[in-house]
Amino acid sequence: MRVIVRTVSELCITVGTVIVLFVVYVLFWTGVKADDVMGDQIDQLQDQWSKGSVEQPRATGGAEASPEDPAPYKSGKPFAIMYIPRLGFTWNKPVLEGTATNTLKKGLGHYARTTQLGQQGNFSVAGHRRTYGDPFKDFPKLRRGDAVVLTDGTTWFTYRIDKGPYKTVPTDVEVIDPVPRKSGYTRSGRYLTLTTCDPEWGHSHRLIVWAHLDSTQPVEAGKPQALRR
Amino acid sequence: MYGWIWRHLPGNVWVRALISLVLVLAVVYVLFQYVFPWAEPLLPFNDVTVDNQ
Repeated sequence: MRVIVRTVSELCITVGTVIVLFVVYVLFWTGVKADDVMGDQIDQLQDQWSKGSVEQPRATGGAEASPEDPAPYKSGKPFAIMYIPRLGFTWNKPVLEGTATNTLKKGLGHYARTTQLGQQGNFSVAGHRRTYGDPFKDFPKLRRGDAVVLTDGTTWFTYRIDKGPYKTVPTDVEVIDPVPRKSGYTRSGRYLTLTTCDPEWGHSHRLIVWAHLDSTQPVEAGKPQALRR
Repeated sequence: MYGWIWRHLPGNVWVRALISLVLVLAVVYVLFQYVFPWAEPLLPFNDVTVDNQ
């Protein structure tokens, strides 16, 4: 009898310890790992860019650039870096192709079926609100007029947010349509959509922001205005 | 359970303590490296997309 009671209580303590360890893993360790991996992805991109092996030379004639189709992004690989000054001056994350669970552990994920950076249509990106480095933790702070800056190694793209965090349900795929229904846009253009989860630790809803392409400039012209202090 | 393990470890108290420590670290390593990465996607923090792919 005593042996049984002792074994059961030991098991309970063990399970409790494992649960505490799991919480440590989710809250802390995924962040440590993700910061490491995201840093690697950015280094990898900058390496690629400095070697000049950018996939395709792109016409840099402002928002009216020629509508040629650039090479498709490679699934699971980084292709751009995103900067959002509102989320912190040093906030920058790699953007990878695809929204698979493993891809989102390494950075932000580009919905593969949406358009490419700077092109006509809706360039849509998903990111973690919590865990894995908390990239979109301060998502609700985004406001109309905030800049979302991206670079693909040849061009800086500055998007301006038009509609602040919009809450919707997880099945609302219309938010990443070329002309999202609830966004207030009425005709086709060069748009950007960011999605993350809401509430912070839940998954019952999604938060969305929409932005339009405000300006582009070649990297040789230096950082865009939005990133200068 | 732990008493049983302790009695079956070889050596004197110090050797046993050392082996126990190594065993604990091994268990924690396996949990962090294999078990938690498997269990974590089952929680809702990963659902950040609208098309659920």
